[in-house]
Amino acid sequence: MEHVALWVAAFLTLGIISFLYKDNPWYKLCEAIFVGISAGYWFIVLFWDNIVGKFWVGVFPPKELNDVGELVNSVEPDYWLIVGAVLGVLMLMRLIPNIGWISRWPLAFIIGCTSGLYLINYFSSNMMRQVQGTIMPLLGMNYELSTYDIIGNIIIVIGTFTGLIYFYFSKEHKGWFGRAAKVGIWTIMITFGASFGYTVMSRMSLLIGRVDFLFGDWLGLIN
Amino acid sequence: MRVGKSTFLHLCLAFSLSLILILILLTLVSAQEVDSLRSSTDSAYTIPDSGLVLVAPVTSLIAEDYKYDDGEQLKLSWVPSIDDQLVDSKVLGYRLFRSIDGGTPEILAKLPPGTNSFLDRTVQRERKYQYYLETFSENFVVQSIVTAAISPEREWLNLDRGWLFIIALFISIAIIFFVEKAKRGHKLYVRKIAGLEAIDEAVGRATEMGRPVLFIPGINDMDDVQTLAALTILGRVSRTIADYDSQIFMPVSRSLVMTAARETIKTSYMAAGRPDAYSDDMVNYVTDEQFGYVAAVDGLMVRERPATVFLLGAFFAESLILAETGNSVGAIQIAGTARPAQLPFFIAACDFTLIGEELFAASAYLSGEPRQLGSLKGQDVGKGLAMSVIILGVLAVTIATAWDVEIMHNVHNWLLGVFSSN
Amino acid sequence: MSTRAKELLVVGIVLLFCIIAYLGKVYGWVDTVVFSPMVSMIVVGIIILGLVFVLIRTLQGRLINRQVVFLFVGIAVIMPFFMSITQKIRTSPEVQQLYDAVAELPKGSKVLVSFDYDPPSAPELQPMAEAFLYYCLSNDLKVIIMGLWPQGAQQANLALEAIMKNEKLAAKGLEYGKDYVNLGYQAGNEFVIQRMGADFSSMFRTDYSGRHYEELELVKNVKNFSNIDYSFNLSAGYPGTQEWVQVAVDRYGLKMGCGNTAVQAPMMYTYLNAGQLVGLLGGMNGAAEFEQLVKYPGKGTKFMLSQSFAHMIVIAFIIIGNVAFFRSGRGKKL
Repeated sequence: MEHVALWVAAFLTLGIISFLYKDNPWYKLCEAIFVGISAGYWFIVLFWDNIVGKFWVGVFPPKELNDVGELVNSVEPDYWLIVGAVLGVLMLMRLIPNIGWISRWPLAFIIGCTSGLYLINYFSSNMMRQVQGTIMPLLGMNYELSTYDIIGNIIIVIGTFTGLIYFYFSKEHKGWFGRAAKVGIWTIMITFGASFGYTVMSRMSLLIGRVDFLFGDWLGLIN
Repeated sequence: MRVGKSTFLHLCLAFSLSLILILILLTLVSAQEVDSLRSSTDSAYTIPDSGLVLVAPVTSLIAEDYKYDDGEQLKLSWVPSIDDQLVDSKVLGYRLFRSIDGGTPEILAKLPPGTNSFLDRTVQRERKYQYYLETFSENFVVQSIVTAAISPEREWLNLDRGWLFIIALFISIAIIFFVEKAKRGHKLYVRKIAGLEAIDEAVGRATEMGRPVLFIPGINDMDDVQTLAALTILGRVSRTIADYDSQIFMPVSRSLVMTAARETIKTSYMAAGRPDAYSDDMVNYVTDEQFGYVAAVDGLMVRERPATVFLLGAFFAESLILAETGNSVGAIQIAGTARPAQLPFFIAACDFTLIGEELFAASAYLSGEPRQLGSLKGQDVGKGLAMSVIILGVLAVTIATAWDVEIMHNVHNWLLGVFSSN
Repeated sequence: MSTRAKELLVVGIVLLFCIIAYLGKVYGWVDTVVFSPMVSMIVVGIIILGLVFVLIRTLQGRLINRQVVFLFVGIAVIMPFFMSITQKIRTSPEVQQLYDAVAELPKGSKVLVSFDYDPPSAPELQPMAEAFLYYCLSNDLKVIIMGLWPQGAQQANLALEAIMKNEKLAAKGLEYGKDYVNLGYQAGNEFVIQRMGADFSSMFRTDYSGRHYEELELVKNVKNFSNIDYSFNLSAGYPGTQEWVQVAVDRYGLKMGCGNTAVQAPMMYTYLNAGQLVGLLGGMNGAAEFEQLVKYPGKGTKFMLSQSFAHMIVIAFIIIGNVAFFRSGRGKKL
C-alpha cells in the first residue's frame, strides 16, 4: 500500500510541475483531482468540527458511564449554541428568493461582532503599539546604543513618518509635503522589495520540499 | 444645526477632560480599597538558639486584588528580609503558604531570594484567601504575619485601557463629524490618485482594439470592505464602458458578489442611457475554491485576450498568477489591494497599482459617498495624531537622552504610558 | 520527429529512469548518490557557464523562453541535494532572541505551541516545529500543543513522532499528559484565542485523542494565558501570528515568539520592533538558524544549500531580465 501511495503522490506532484512546460491534460487531471479532493475535504472538516464537534456535542454532551453503569463524567449542555445554530439556519434563507432578506440578520450579527473585535484589536496592536514603538532616540551623548542602532532608529522614524504622509489624503502632494510623500513611497517600495525576496524564498522552500520528496522519499537517491 | 470646527473641538476637549476626571476618581477609590487590605504590623522576631543562621522575616506583606481582571488573580507584595543580600546572603529563599476559607495553610510556591512579589493565578471569586511567607536559612525558619482574608474581585471596566478608549473615541467622533459634514453637502477635499486617471485611458484602449475589459473583484465575499471598494470602482469603470460601447466580462468567486456586481453594472448602463446593452452574462459565478477560480480565470484570459484587466479587491496567493497571465497576454493592468503581502506582485506585474488605503480612497473619491469620504477624512485625523505624537515623542526622548532634561523624560514616559495602554 | 513524439519520448525516458531508481531503492541495488567536492564544483561551474551563455545571448538581443528559467531553477534546487558542500549558517538577532527567551525559562515552565498551518507549508514550518519541540522537551519544559488550522494538530503529531526517535529524548522517558499534551484543533479563528484568554477548557473540552481536559495532569491547573510562561506560534496565514499578537499578546500580556513562512515574515518585523513579539523565525532560513542553535540539525539545515543556490539563480535572472529590459529601450520611459 505504501508503494501505491508513494507513486500516486509522485504522479500528482510531477503532473502539477508539468505546467511549467505548458498546459497539458496531465496537469488538468491533477488540478481537477486537487480541486475535487480539497472541496470534499473542507466539507467534511467543517461538518465534523463545527456542526458535530461544536454544536451537537455542545448541546448534547455525551455521558460517560463506568463498567457498572454509573455516570462518571457529565458535562453541562451549552444551550447558547442553539442561538448560533438558528442564526446559521437563517443564513440559508438566502436560497429561497422570497425570504432571502432574512439572511441579512445573521450577516449583520457577524459583521457587528467582528467589527467590534477588530476595531479594538487593530487599533491597539497596529496603531497604539506601533506609535509607541516608533518613539525612539535619534542621537545623544548619553545614548548607549551603537551607530548602527542609531541609523536603524532614524530609518524607522523617517520611514514611518513619511509613509503616513503618503497615505494622508487631505492634502495635495506638493512642496515639502510632496517630497516627504516621495520618501514615503520609496520606503514602501523598498519594503515591498524585501517582501518579494522573502516570497521567493518561501516559494523555493515549497519546491525544495517537493524535490526532497521525489528524490528522497520516492526514489531514495538522497538521504 | 451646523456644527462649527471650534464647537466640535470644544466638545471633544470637554468629553476627554471628563473622562480623565472619572479615571482619576476611580483610581483614587481603588487605592483606598488597597489601603484597607494592608496589614500594618510585622511579625515578632523568633529568639534564636546559638549556632543558628538567624534571618529576619519579610515585612509589609500585602495581599490585594489584581486590578482589572476577571476576578482570577491576587497580587502579593512584600519587603524582603533585611538578611536577603545580593552577596553573602543568609536567606536561602522563601516559602509561600496559603489557606483557603480559613482552612489549613498549604505551601503554594518556593521562591528564590530577592523575590518581592507573587501573582496567585489559581484563585476563585467565591473563596477567601490568607497568605504568609516563611523565610529560611540553612537551619532557621521565620514566619511573617498572616494577611487579612481576601477574595479576588471581577472588574467590569479595564481602566488600564482608558487612553485607548479616549483616543479611539476621539477618532470615531472625528469620523462621525466628517460624515455628517459630507451629508450636509460640504465638499471634502481628497487628493487625486494616480491610478484612477488611467481608468478612462485603459477602457479607451480596449475599445480601440475591439477587445474586452476583464474585471476581477478579488476572491473574498461582500463582508470584506475591499470587495465593496472594488464594486464602487466597478461602477465608474462600467459607466465608461457603457459610454464607449466597449465590452466587459467579470468572473467572480462568490455568489453574493455576482448579484451585487450585476446590479452595479446594470445601474451604470442605465445611467449611460443604454439599458438595452446590458446583459446578465457580463458577470458569471465560477467557483468558491481559490485555485479552481484562478485556473478558470487564467483560461479565460488566454482565450479572450482582454485589452484591459482590473484586479481590485482582496487577493491572496493567486495575485501573481493572475497578474502574470494578464501581463503575458499584453493587457494593461490596473490593480489594487490592501493586503501588503500581495502588493509587491501587483507592483511588479501591473501598470498601475492602488496601494493599501489608496483602494478605499479611490472608492471614496469616485463615489463621493458621504460615509466613505467622511471615514477617509476621519482616518486622516488619526494619522495626523499619530504623526504629531511621533514627532513629539522622538524629540522628547532624543533631548532627554542627549542632555538629560528632566521634563523631557517625563514627557517621554507619559507618552509611552498613554500608548501602551492595551 | 513531431513535437508530440519528442515530448512523449522525454516522458518515457523520465518514467523509465524513475522505475529503475525505485526498484533499485526497493531491492537495494542503488544506494544514495553523493557527489565528491570535485564533481560538486564542476556542477557549479557548468551552471555558471550556462548563466553566462544566457547573459551573452540576452546582450545580443536574443531572449530566452521562460521554460529555460524554470530549468535553471530546477537544476539549482536539485543538484545541491547530491553535493558534499557545506554552508555556514549565521544566527540573526531575531532567532537569537527567540532562543534566549526559551533558554531562560526555568525547568517545568509551561510553553504553549500553536500549530496554525497545513501540509503545503510544512517544508518551511515543520523543521521549526521539530527543532522547537525538541529543545523544549530536552530542557524539561512542559509543552501544550494546539491548532487553529484543522491539520495543525496532525502536523504536531508528525513533529513529535520525528523528534521522539532522537536518542536523547527517548532516554528521558517523556510521558504524554504530563510532559506534553496535544489539545487538538479548534474552529473559530481569533475567537478561540479570545475565549482562551478567559478559560482554556471552554475551548478544549478534550484533547486530540478525546481525553477530558481535567484528566490531563499538565493542563488541569492551566486556566488561561496567565498560566503560560511562553508561547510559540507556527503560522502560515490566517488565523496566525497577527491574531495571536492582537488578542493574546496585546490583551492578555502573553509572552510570544513565532515561526512564520517567509511570505508572512516581513510583516511580523513590525511587531518584533514594537516588542510585541519576543523572537521570530522567518522561513526556511530561520528554521536552519534555530536548528544550529539548539544543535538539532534537521531539514532546515539540509535544505539551505538548495535555497542558497536557487536564490543565486533568481538574482542572476533579475540581472539578466534588467539587461533585457534596458536593452529593449523600455527603460528610457522610466
